[in-house]
Amino acid sequence: MELDFSGVPTVWPALLRGALVTLQLTVAVLLIATPIGCVLALLRNARSAPVRGILMTLSWIFRGIPPLLILFFAFFALPLIGLKLNPLPSAIVAMSSYMAFYFAEAFTAGLNSVPAGQWQAARALGLSPTRTLIRVILPQTIPAALPPYISHATEILKGTALAAAVAVPELASAAKRVFVVTYRPLEILIVAAAIYAVLDAILLILQMAGERWAARRRRGGRT
Amino acid sequence: MNPARLIEYWPQLWEGLLVTLQISAATLILATPVALLIAILREARVPVVNALLIVAVNAVRLLPAVIVLFFVFYGGPQLGLSLSPMAAAIIGLSVMGAAYMSEDIRAGLSAVDRGQYQAARALGLSPARIFCRIIIPQAIPLIVPPYMTRAIIMVKGSSLASMVAVGELTAAASRASSITYDPFTFILFAGALYLIISGALVLFQAWAERHLRRRYRLTPGGR
Repeated sequence: MELDFSGVPTVWPALLRGALVTLQLTVAVLLIATPIGCVLALLRNARSAPVRGILMTLSWIFRGIPPLLILFFAFFALPLIGLKLNPLPSAIVAMSSYMAFYFAEAFTAGLNSVPAGQWQAARALGLSPTRTLIRVILPQTIPAALPPYISHATEILKGTALAAAVAVPELASAAKRVFVVTYRPLEILIVAAAIYAVLDAILLILQMAGERWAARRRRGGRT
Repeated sequence: MNPARLIEYWPQLWEGLLVTLQISAATLILATPVALLIAILREARVPVVNALLIVAVNAVRLLPAVIVLFFVFYGGPQLGLSLSPMAAAIIGLSVMGAAYMSEDIRAGLSAVDRGQYQAARALGLSPARIFCRIIIPQAIPLIVPPYMTRAIIMVKGSSLASMVAVGELTAAASRASSITYDPFTFILFAGALYLIISGALVLFQAWAERHLRRRYRLTPGGR
């Protein structure tokens, strides 16, 4: 068996369009799930027990069932409740919903790493709760939460391939559409894998930079 | 939402559940010894083997699971390896699982103090005995929690088999939803089944950890 990449230039535009959709999906989910995850993490520390209970149950459900099932649910259920979305926005909603809970877990762990005494000390100094959060708690939370946050973020990129199942024309489905025509799946898949590897590498560089920054902050080298 | 429909589609859903359990069990049984072998080989630090394993494990971890499954199912025939969807899914998911799991196991193995190897060697134990009698018993309590987390991720990952035309639980639920336009009944039901499976694994984990603590006389909550 010999690999023959001579057909790749012809299908390259189709793969590139798929890669672009993959990138869009990754960035959109990252931008939507991150702030929601933050809010969920702050609500997890709310004083009201029912709020905490509901959030813990939802977090358990969203992290406990397969992401693919959530994508199917959004694909079939959103139109029924009057939200007629295209496949791409529908996949963005589905992926953001479960990623927000994964992010919330990372942020909650970060928040809990700050001793409760800091809240009390800040109040004793007359700081408002908002100021305490922004000036005292978050600067300590972010370095602790960053490494798990980034490792979940790289999962988003790999997770986007699931959207192929709900008719989103991202890279994996573009590859499949091409190789069912060309009958050379191996070559096309190797090219697609290489594109994923490049996208992964970009995230990896960001991850290493982020982790170095977080490690420096945690040691207290820079204030 | 119409629970009566569950009875109508019960045969397909039951079949799907059985396939999901089969895939999960098969991938766990195949991936565990492979992952253990990879972890031990990497800990042994044989120069060339180690480098090859690092490349292979990280290449697999870099790729979306969907692409790995496409490689096995669609790329296989080009290498003269025509597999049934089920076999392709089990092989692809086992490869994914083994790559991730080997890292979990390796982390546990490397957490055992290096001095233990030297002490055991000084006492004249063979490398095989050192591993089986000294290192593994100490590493197992450290490996069980991440191993079980990985097992739950692999159960959720079995849903990806639907991307290569295996009629497992997610596929059955989405097909029934697309026929009846009732995702609320079928997808929520399937989601509940997944939660029950992972709930059972969590109970098993708690039992295993208690058992190991007694067996190795570890103090509760740490060692």
